[in-house]
Amino acid sequence: MKVDRRRLLKTLTAIPIIGGILAVLSPLVRYLKPNDGPFQIDMTTGDNPSGGAQVVGSTAALQKPWDYFYFTYIQSFPQYDAEGSKKANIAGVAVKLPQKVKFVQATSGFVGYDKGDTDIVLFQRICPHLGCIFNFIPDWHEVTAGYGGFVPPKPEQHSLMACPCHLSIYDPTYPGDPGNVISGPAPRGARYFKFEIQGQDIVVTGAETGGIAECPAAGRAEG
Amino acid sequence: MEGVLANLREWLQDRKQHLDLFDETKTAQQDSPLYIVGGLVWLTWMIVIVSGIILMVWYIPTTTGAYRSILHLTEDIPFGWLVRGMHKYGADMLVISITIRIYRMYFAGEYKKPGELSWMILFASLVLAMISGITGYGLIWNQRAFWAAKTVLTVPTYYDEIPGLGKFGIGHAIAYIFLGGPALGQPTLTRFYAIHYGISIVFAVLAEIFFYRTRRRRLNLSYFTVGLVLAFLTYVSFDQLTAMGRWANPNRTPLPILSDWYFLALYQLVKYMPPLWAGIAPGLLIGYGMLIPFLDRTKETRPLERPFFFVIGVYALAMFVGFTTLIMLNIAVIGRDPPIIFLVTIVVVSLAFVWELLYRRRKAQRAQAARPAAPARPARPAESAVASS
Repeated sequence: MKVDRRRLLKTLTAIPIIGGILAVLSPLVRYLKPNDGPFQIDMTTGDNPSGGAQVVGSTAALQKPWDYFYFTYIQSFPQYDAEGSKKANIAGVAVKLPQKVKFVQATSGFVGYDKGDTDIVLFQRICPHLGCIFNFIPDWHEVTAGYGGFVPPKPEQHSLMACPCHLSIYDPTYPGDPGNVISGPAPRGARYFKFEIQGQDIVVTGAETGGIAECPAAGRAEG
Repeated sequence: MEGVLANLREWLQDRKQHLDLFDETKTAQQDSPLYIVGGLVWLTWMIVIVSGIILMVWYIPTTTGAYRSILHLTEDIPFGWLVRGMHKYGADMLVISITIRIYRMYFAGEYKKPGELSWMILFASLVLAMISGITGYGLIWNQRAFWAAKTVLTVPTYYDEIPGLGKFGIGHAIAYIFLGGPALGQPTLTRFYAIHYGISIVFAVLAEIFFYRTRRRRLNLSYFTVGLVLAFLTYVSFDQLTAMGRWANPNRTPLPILSDWYFLALYQLVKYMPPLWAGIAPGLLIGYGMLIPFLDRTKETRPLERPFFFVIGVYALAMFVGFTTLIMLNIAVIGRDPPIIFLVTIVVVSLAFVWELLYRRRKAQRAQAARPAAPARPARPAESAVASS
């Protein structure tokens, strides 16, 4: 390719034009997404939420295998509006399993319980697929009836967890990966809470990140 | 390079001359109801814009106020039900009109030269109407709105799984920009409001510029048709009071939960596909639709004279209806259905392809047979002369 005067001048003119476009685009992106710095190419994936230690329930409610209860863990997110931060709910379920398991998430390596094996496990109910809140289903027949017609194989015919939106089904006692998906489009198993048991109290100290949470509803809740 | 640009400019110039946004150049064909849908697109769009602005008088765009303000508007404000009904059912009619027009243009081959640009704009308008739809029903802040917003805005986060793209965090950035933060909340509602309103205003201005420059008539329907549409929408608004659903509850996803009707087939698809593909597939469908004029290169316009594209069109319609039915019945066995659907798709596409090949061969043979035979060589006069003598 011959570089003549015309081509050289054209190329040189392009530099301030590209610079100008970037100078307009960067503030526009930052206007829409204020947690990025000026001219930051790789976007910040989100500000880390924090919740601290919260007592969510008691082991007294989890005596027999497949006893369970729902709870809500509240985290605080930085929010670039006039209020500065937002509280966000993470719906959770605590389950008593029939046998002790190692509570370490197989996909992410997140350690949910670091004091050996446990038969009490705490899952986030935010579906790792697209973020709906899935339910704990004590009787697996209900999964077959209401969640698209999936019939679990024999070893999995016990309590399961199922998502109303896209019908992912999770097995709380999946061997080697508690909470793993056994049917449906979810790419991985349920997210974990990190928790400790202090006396009778179940204390959540952290939560696996990655999902889009939701701010608590102001106003009346649905029955 | 400059040659390519000049060609492109010429191509655009030519298509711009023949641009037809609302069937305003096809008024002579209005004997067929299929040719009033373009006019209906414009009419319903205007109804939606006007009723939308009237709705803004009472609407409160906050997570605490939205649901109550719409409930109040629907049940207490005089004629609030009518304005909301006109807006909602007008929007439904708009989407239906655009869809029928797309299918008409598809099966009648109207996307072919010089209709390519009109087709692409029409197709883009369906996408814009659907975006307006999802941001619009988001404004009610009921359960359907909440979970639709959440699932749709989680889809882009999977784009970060595409090799090379992940390290820039583009997927999460897209989600953040629409959510207005890392979680779904007030900023999301505000941004939805801005998008919902912005799309129609920007494109209404562009349509006005188009009409101003081409000096064409905006409304190409008879007063009778206009009156009928208004009466119909009024009747439906009165008879089927627009639904409220239940107030959004972030801690409970209802079972079953359905989207607005035109998203149902897509919703079923998302159940069947891995999430990254579910994020890419709609893009591919839109891309395929947009590029149809350049894929179907024949000059034939009658559907049966281009069997492949005819079958694909019918199959797409069948899938839309089939998936919608499946989701209404809440049937989705994820281990069983996708292989069947995949197999059926392969068989249908292959058969369509074979039909196309057979059709083209038969056509070539017929053309061969119809060609006049080469003139026979004239008998040699010398020979006959010799014989007779």
